[in-house]
Amino acid sequence: MRRLLVLVFVALVVMAFSAVKISVLCSPDNADALKWLAGEFMKQNPDIQVEIVPLSWELLYPKLLQDLRSQAGSFEAFTYDVMTTGAVSFGLEDLGAFMKKYPELLPPDYDLNDFIPQVLEESGMWQGKLIGLPFYNNTMLFYYRKDLFEDPKLKQAFKEKYGRELTLPTTWEEVKEIAEFFTKKFNRNSPTEYGIALMFPRTHTLFYMYLLFFGEYRCAPLGIMRHGAADLEYGEYFTADHKPAFNSEEGLKALEMMKKLMPYSPDPLGSDYGETIEYFNQGLVAMVPQWTGPYLIFKSTVGADKVGVIPMPGRSVSGQWALAINKFIPEEKKVAAFRFITFATTKWADKNKFLRFAVAPARMSTLKDPEVRAADPRVPALEVTYVSQTHRPRIPEEPRLEDITVETFSKILAGTLPLSMDTLNDLAKKWQEVLGK
Amino acid sequence: MKNRLIPWLMVLPVLVLFLSMTIYPFAFMIWSSFRQYDLSKGAETRFIGLSNYFQIFSDTTAIESFKFTAKLLAIAVPVELLLGIGVAFLIRGVRGEKIIRSSLLIPMMVPAAVSGVAWKMLYNYAFGPVNWFLSLFNVSKISWLGDMNYAQLGIILIDVWQWTPFVFLMIYAGLQSVPQDLIDAARVDGADWGKVFLHVEFPLLRPLILVALVLRIIDCLKTFDIVFMTTWGGPGAATHTYSFYIYKVGVSFGWNIGYASALSVLLLLVSMLLVNIVFRLVRMRQQLGFGGEGE
Repeated sequence: MRRLLVLVFVALVVMAFSAVKISVLCSPDNADALKWLAGEFMKQNPDIQVEIVPLSWELLYPKLLQDLRSQAGSFEAFTYDVMTTGAVSFGLEDLGAFMKKYPELLPPDYDLNDFIPQVLEESGMWQGKLIGLPFYNNTMLFYYRKDLFEDPKLKQAFKEKYGRELTLPTTWEEVKEIAEFFTKKFNRNSPTEYGIALMFPRTHTLFYMYLLFFGEYRCAPLGIMRHGAADLEYGEYFTADHKPAFNSEEGLKALEMMKKLMPYSPDPLGSDYGETIEYFNQGLVAMVPQWTGPYLIFKSTVGADKVGVIPMPGRSVSGQWALAINKFIPEEKKVAAFRFITFATTKWADKNKFLRFAVAPARMSTLKDPEVRAADPRVPALEVTYVSQTHRPRIPEEPRLEDITVETFSKILAGTLPLSMDTLNDLAKKWQEVLGK
Repeated sequence: MKNRLIPWLMVLPVLVLFLSMTIYPFAFMIWSSFRQYDLSKGAETRFIGLSNYFQIFSDTTAIESFKFTAKLLAIAVPVELLLGIGVAFLIRGVRGEKIIRSSLLIPMMVPAAVSGVAWKMLYNYAFGPVNWFLSLFNVSKISWLGDMNYAQLGIILIDVWQWTPFVFLMIYAGLQSVPQDLIDAARVDGADWGKVFLHVEFPLLRPLILVALVLRIIDCLKTFDIVFMTTWGGPGAATHTYSFYIYKVGVSFGWNIGYASALSVLLLLVSMLLVNIVFRLVRMRQQLGFGGEGE
C-alpha cells in the first residue's frame, strides 16, 4: 500500500513537472467561463496546465500591447477586444496557417463554418488572416421591467397621457416618451424614480454608447446614401471611404437624442457599467441598455419574470472578444495554447458558457439549439441584433480616437461645448491628425 | 591595488542596481522625449528634436490637465496644511487623545485604490451616503462625479481627506518635541495660548511645516490613483490630473512613449521649479540648517 502511494505521488510529481503551463490573460467579464473551461480542459488534457489571469479592461489592452511589443511572452493566450484588433494583430499567431500545419490538433467536430460569419470575420480576421477565434460575442440589449410594461393601470395611464398604447419601444423617440412617463419628476405616479439608466461617463463607455444612437441614423437609407456602407475594419464611425462620418447631420441628431434622454436618467455623466446595473437592480429605473452579461444579475435580483429583453430600439453595438495565441512563444507552448483555445470555442463550450455564465454565443448551432432557446429569453433578441448591430473601428489608432472623442462628447453632453457642426468638425480634424491624413 | 578594488566590488551590486533602476530609466526618459516612439505603431523610433515638447503647448487636454493640477495644488495643499496643523493643536491633551490620533491616521493608511472605490460609492448619485446626508439639510442630489465643478470639488475633497493626516502626523510629532519649559516660561511671562503659539511653538515647528509643504507639493503633482479609480478624468477633461494624462498617453491609449516622456520631463521641471520657489521664499535651507544665504 505504502509503495503504491509513493508511486502515485511520484507519478503526480512527474506529471506536474512535465505538464506544459500556459497563462491566459482575459477580461473579468469572461474570466469565470474561461476558468470553468480551463478546469474541464485540464481534466481531459492532464499534460497541459492552464492558468487564467483576469485583468480589468483599462489595464488589459496596455498590458497585452506591452507584452507583445517587448516579445516577453508572459502570456501564451489571451482574449482581446475586437476594437483593439488592429493594434495587437502584429503579435498574434496566424491560426489558419497553424491549423494547416497541425490539422490533427483541431477537435474532431470543430467547425469554423458554424461561427456566425460576420462574427468570425470581425473578431477573428485581420487583413486576410485568421488571428483569433470568437469567444464572447457580446452585444448590447435593451432590458426593461416586464411587470411595469404589462401593468393594466400603468398602460391605461400611459394611453391617457400620450394617446397611444404602452408598447415596447422600437425607436429612441418612443424610448424618450416612455422614459418621461416612468420618471417621477415628470409623472408623480410613476412606480420608478427614473425612466432609463444611461451610462455616458468619461471612460470608453461613451464611445460605444454613441453608436446606439448614431447607428439608427447612420444605417438608415439616407445615412447610407450620404456616407456609404461601413466596413468591419473602420465601422460606422467612418464613411465608406474611411473619413469621419459623425461630423454630419446624422452625428448631430445622435447627440441631440442623447441629450434629450438625459433628464430621465440618474446621473448619466457620472454613471458607468456598475452603477446602471445597480439602478436597474434596485428598481430605480424602468429600462436600461446593457451588455448581454448583466442579464444573469438582473434575473437573480429583479426576478426572471420581471425582466424583459428586446433588441436595441436604435442600433446595437458589437463588443466581441476573441481568443488568440501569442506569436512570440516557443512552439510547444503554441501547441498547448492552440489546444486550449480551440477547446474553449467548440460547439459544446459555446453552448455551455452561454447557459452557465451568460457569455454570449458565437456559433449558429448554439442559437438554434432547442435547449438554449428554451432556457434563455435573450436568444430571439440576439438573433435580430447580431445582423443589425453597428461596429467600432478596429484600426490601430482606435484607442487614441476613442479618447479624444469621449472628451469632446462628454463636454457636449455636459454643455461646456456647443452641440454644433463646428464642434464635430473640430473633432473630425483631430481624427485626421491622428490618422495622419 | 587589490585592496583598493575590494570596496568597489562590495558596492558594485548596489551600484548596478541603482544605475539600472534609477539612472537608466531617467536617461531613457530624456532620450525618448526627443523621439517619435509610439508602441502602437511599431517599435521603430526616430529623432524628432523638440517636437514632443512643442506638442504639449497645443494639446488642449494637456493644458486642461495642467490647470486642474494647479487648482488641486492651490486649494488642497493649503487646506491640508491648515487642517493638519489645526487638528494637531486641537487634540493635544484632550481625553482619548491616543484613540483620536490613531483614528485620524486611517485615511492615510488606506491604499488609494481602495479609497477610490470607497469614495465612488460614497459619491453615488442615487444610493451614496454623501447625497443622503445632504438630503437631511434639504440639499438636492448632487452629481459628484458627473458634473464638471462638483467632480473637481469631489477629487479635491478626497485628496484633503487622504492627506490631511500626513500633515497632522508631522506637526503632531513636532509638537511633542517642543520643550515644555519654554511654554511654561512664556506663560509665566503672561503669554496667552495665541502668543505661545505664535512666538514659541510656530517658530519651532516651521521647518516641519515647510517639509510637509514641499512633500505635499511633490505628491500633489503626482496625483493619479484617485482619478483613475473615480472619474477617469471626466467629465470632459475636468478632473484630468497631469500625471493621469501622462499615464493615458504613455500606457492606456497606445503607448506613445515619446510624448509621455516629454510630458514627464516637463512635470519634473515644474516640480523642481516649485520646490525651489518654496525653498527661496521661506529660506528653507536656513530653516533646515543646510546653510545660510551666503552659502
